[in-house]
Amino acid sequence: MPVNSGVAQASNALLVLTIVVYALAMLAYAGDFAFGKRKTPAPVPARLPELVGAGAPAGFDADAGHTFPADPSDLSELADLSGRAADPAGAAGPSAGAAGLPALPGLPALPDRRSRWPASAWLRYAFLLTCAGLAAQAGAILTRGLAEHRVPWGNMFEFIAAITCVAVLMLTVAAVRFRAYYMGLFVLLPVVLALAVDVVVIYTPAGEVVPALQSYWLAIHVTGMLVSIGMFIFGAVVTVLFLLVARHERRVAAGLESRSAGIMVQLPGSSVLDRLSYRAILFAFPAWTFAVIAGAIWADHAWGRYWGWDPKETWSFITWLVYAAFLHARATAGWRGRRAAYIQLTGFACLIFNLVGVNLWISGLHSYAGLG
Amino acid sequence: MTQDLAGGDPVTELKERARTEGTVSASVPSSSVAVAGPGDIRPGARETGAGESAERELAARVPAATAGTGGRLGAVGWLRWGWRQLTSMRTALVLLFLLALASIPGSVLPQTGIDPAAVSQYYASHPGLAPVLARLSLFDVFGAPWFAAIYLLLFTSLAGCVVPRAFRMARSVRQPPPSAPRRLGRLPQAASFGTAADPEPALESAARLLARKRFRLRTGDGWVSAEKGYLHEVGNLLFHLALLGLLGSVALGGLFGYKANRLLVAGQGFANTPTALDVFRPGRLVSPADLQPFSVRLERFTASYITSGVQRGQPSWFSAAIQYSASYGGPEHSYDLRVNHPLIVDGVQVFLIGHGYAPVFKVTDRTGRVVFDQPVPFIPIEQSGLTSAGVIKVPDASPEQLGFAGVFLPTAVDVSGRLASAFPAALFPRVSLVSYAGNLGLDSGQAQSVYSLDTSAMHRLAVPPVPLAPGQSITLPNGLGKLTFTGYQQWISLAITYDPGQTPALISALAALAGLILSFLVRRRRMFVRAYPGHDGRTVVEVAGLTRSDAAGGFETEFAELASEIVHVLDGSAVVAGQPATTSRSAGDGLPAPAGDGRPAPAGDRRPAVEQLAAERSAAEQPAAEQSAAEQPLGAGQPAADEAALAQAEGE
Amino acid sequence: MTRLKRSARQAAAARVIRAVLVGSAMLAATSCSGGALAQYTPVSSGKSFVGGSYSSTYYRPGSRPAAPALTGALLTGQQFSLTADRGSVVVLNFWASWCAPCRREAPALAALARYFQRNPVRFVGIDSRDTVPSAEAFQRTFGVGYPSLNDPNDEIALAFRGTLPPPAIPSTLLIDSTGHVAAMIVGGVSYSGLKALIVKVLGGRS
Repeated sequence: MPVNSGVAQASNALLVLTIVVYALAMLAYAGDFAFGKRKTPAPVPARLPELVGAGAPAGFDADAGHTFPADPSDLSELADLSGRAADPAGAAGPSAGAAGLPALPGLPALPDRRSRWPASAWLRYAFLLTCAGLAAQAGAILTRGLAEHRVPWGNMFEFIAAITCVAVLMLTVAAVRFRAYYMGLFVLLPVVLALAVDVVVIYTPAGEVVPALQSYWLAIHVTGMLVSIGMFIFGAVVTVLFLLVARHERRVAAGLESRSAGIMVQLPGSSVLDRLSYRAILFAFPAWTFAVIAGAIWADHAWGRYWGWDPKETWSFITWLVYAAFLHARATAGWRGRRAAYIQLTGFACLIFNLVGVNLWISGLHSYAGLG
Repeated sequence: MTQDLAGGDPVTELKERARTEGTVSASVPSSSVAVAGPGDIRPGARETGAGESAERELAARVPAATAGTGGRLGAVGWLRWGWRQLTSMRTALVLLFLLALASIPGSVLPQTGIDPAAVSQYYASHPGLAPVLARLSLFDVFGAPWFAAIYLLLFTSLAGCVVPRAFRMARSVRQPPPSAPRRLGRLPQAASFGTAADPEPALESAARLLARKRFRLRTGDGWVSAEKGYLHEVGNLLFHLALLGLLGSVALGGLFGYKANRLLVAGQGFANTPTALDVFRPGRLVSPADLQPFSVRLERFTASYITSGVQRGQPSWFSAAIQYSASYGGPEHSYDLRVNHPLIVDGVQVFLIGHGYAPVFKVTDRTGRVVFDQPVPFIPIEQSGLTSAGVIKVPDASPEQLGFAGVFLPTAVDVSGRLASAFPAALFPRVSLVSYAGNLGLDSGQAQSVYSLDTSAMHRLAVPPVPLAPGQSITLPNGLGKLTFTGYQQWISLAITYDPGQTPALISALAALAGLILSFLVRRRRMFVRAYPGHDGRTVVEVAGLTRSDAAGGFETEFAELASEIVHVLDGSAVVAGQPATTSRSAGDGLPAPAGDGRPAPAGDRRPAVEQLAAERSAAEQPAAEQSAAEQPLGAGQPAADEAALAQAEGE
Repeated sequence: MTRLKRSARQAAAARVIRAVLVGSAMLAATSCSGGALAQYTPVSSGKSFVGGSYSSTYYRPGSRPAAPALTGALLTGQQFSLTADRGSVVVLNFWASWCAPCRREAPALAALARYFQRNPVRFVGIDSRDTVPSAEAFQRTFGVGYPSLNDPNDEIALAFRGTLPPPAIPSTLLIDSTGHVAAMIVGGVSYSGLKALIVKVLGGRS
């Protein structure tokens, strides 16, 4: 069927709109960091042990990981409310230290549904803009699919548009579910950059796919890939943030000056970020496994073998192995915390190489799926 | 992954001895089950954390003990130690990284099994480096012995850990949950409250509530212990065992399966025998008689290309009309073979993987007899116009053997003096050949590719390579003969694969996925309830919860919900008065002393009781030293009486 | 504490050494390449032919597999039936005009056919993946006096599947006078080697 060029042009326009709206959202998130007023509840000190006490008696140690920190939802709200780092060590410190006893374990505060929305006006606008941008991006993808009369992931341009969409979707879910609004700026930054490069450099006009891609497996395998890659992107951004916050915390603990303190104190503690990134990987890893299996089934159906060590297959395997190593590292003493974060970032680097490098520099059976 | 440390290295050996002697340490019952998964701590790793305080003591005693034992391990001891190292989580980590690292050259360098032509090209462009790489098997990484060693070691490590744990899991499922630790307050999730009910009925209500939530229960004198979430370990084991199954399936395919390629010109047929296949890669245990005896004949191949727009020239669809029969002399069936639509006959899959043109040539030699009359497959050298190159060898022309090399252009156009093909469909087919005569080199017995012409022993004939239309011919000088381009056919290339491990591999992969999701979704957790008469005549009820593999969080919420439900069922209120407030509460925490009844929750708050409860602390009984120990992973540095239960509680 | 540190380092070092040792042991086990059939896989892309490996198998009388009841049309058009040659030794040669080792052994086969023409020995060729003009030209080039069956669709090769399928071309089967396969040679034959084998089968000696 011929491509509907009018709808295709609408898709392009929507994608450009997406970039603009995301950029505005980024400005709003930055504005929140710079100007956002923090509500102070009364009495903050009294609430702290109750909220954070449902956890390890002592504090965390970013390097060793953590034992049982508090529910991140509470801590992020705390960051919102108190304007300072919701540091379990700091909060529990006085009570623990005073009598040499652990903080009183209370029952954790269950998140009140009303308090899921951000208190700061800046954040509210930023989140609204994020959602608007997400809608525009979804619209761009949908119209592209309608224009082409097929599932719109057949080349690199469409692929990048889709994975950034999933990454932002993961951001909104994390924001609402885990109150991770602070992630907005950091996730949107690479998304906007990627979309800009996508539109300017990698752009491919709407068109058909080669016969080898004309299969319902395209929808299954590539969709699985999209979803997992989007989640991996989110996880990687959180991990980078975790490393930065952990570094800041180490410097503070050592009494050194930390230049990024201004923004760092507005972020939750490193253990919260650690858990958030781990949660992202917990979703992404099975999705990636499923996508690889679906790809193997399709490869067997199309090429006669379910695994042929094609470069893209090999790098998917390498990525899978590194993320599996990450999960094993989380369970090994001495490898949690920073080392595990590095492993995760290594896995993400393999993923990016799989997406970009293999398509551009190494040719194989998969290369038609890359740059047209 | 046994807990038996006997026969280990001297330090751990002494650790074990110290534990049995009852000093401050964590003794781990040998029947405890290791619950581990993606987020878990494996016992091997836990030793270093939990036993640290014990180790400090032991370090001082090592010299004395070594003198006693001689400090030697026997061969068996070393083997056992080596086995434990192999099956430890750290080795698995290292091997995972090694495997990933080892796969990298397999994707960067051309591989013989995938693209032999690229390998030859690499040899040509890196004449010095290529043989070195070949010695290291870097052109066949995934079949290389060192690659196999890595994944075999990894799977041995996996099997050595998972199989014993599967047995332990089976055993633990039948065991009841552990008894409740004496001091529930020291567990990570704990709460207490008072109730008017008597201890026994209170415990019963709590037990009933937990039973309704599908916890497995065990009751004792004044306590209830509940456990749930075995599916976590089941999922974990299923995942790892499924990986083993995947390896077995791959091995099955590698032993009994085969892969082959065959190029078929329209009108030709072939049967699945070794002599009929262009490329044949059998598994180790495959013999010619094992090949399924099907035959395939290509009637017609049609391709459709996009004629306009940006994608002009790109293929739109292909279809090969074939006739096949499953056995010698069996009934013939017709089939429409397409990409993504293979033929499955007798368990073998036949795939359409390529296509091209085969111009038909007729050659007569000096004697006037026809010495060659057949289509010659030409291989595409570029995709946009399907310009194809090929070679014609006429070894039985007399007096001299003849050879021709050239290109076939489906839609020939003249681009500033050069011939090119503008469109992949054969709209204006032309062929342009260079002619040679001499010795083709075939008679010496030396193997040659049918697609390349060795002109070292031939001389070029003075015939210009003019493009020939169908029906036109080249007359060779000196009466050597004549070549006529009579027409063209199309050819398809088929991939024939037989893999008995295919279905087992799929089942293993899906089982692995299911196990993975299960182990991520389910947490293994324990709840303990104690009830005893308090000082003011009310009953004090303590509720505590424990979980492993909860690095992602979420158990606090579940515990809070469960605790509040128990409170609700027992109609509980805040902690009873009369507790020694000064010793049980630290001075600087700012919490108002919860004397008397708990404050009723503000209206409209969804979970009132939960917020108002404070935990009871029998902290006064704890020496400060144990406090720091409690900050470590549970199970370390606690009095022997309690720690068995606690260690069991947290150690699994 | 130092003792513990050292033992941890020792543990790591020992693990690496262990891995290397086990790995080398695996090396020996996994380095066997291919089974009996793999040696016949073609060296280069193109049509299948023997890349230099040669094997000759002789079957003692009593343990000889029965040859299939082969029938087909010769290049000349006549009908051929293998069972009709009961009582003679039949030398079945699988060949093709484009196959280099087949061209190399062709003079030897033609000469042996002439040598044994007064003995109860019959030479028959089976021409795979060839057209009639090329096959006839081949026979003219090498003076091949014996007839050949044309097998463009590998039906004859299929017929041998149950007994002794030829793994590659050229292959030569010697069928004794009772219709059982006495010997199989994979690869190009030599004049003296094949002659000795024919004599052995003719003589009925074991």
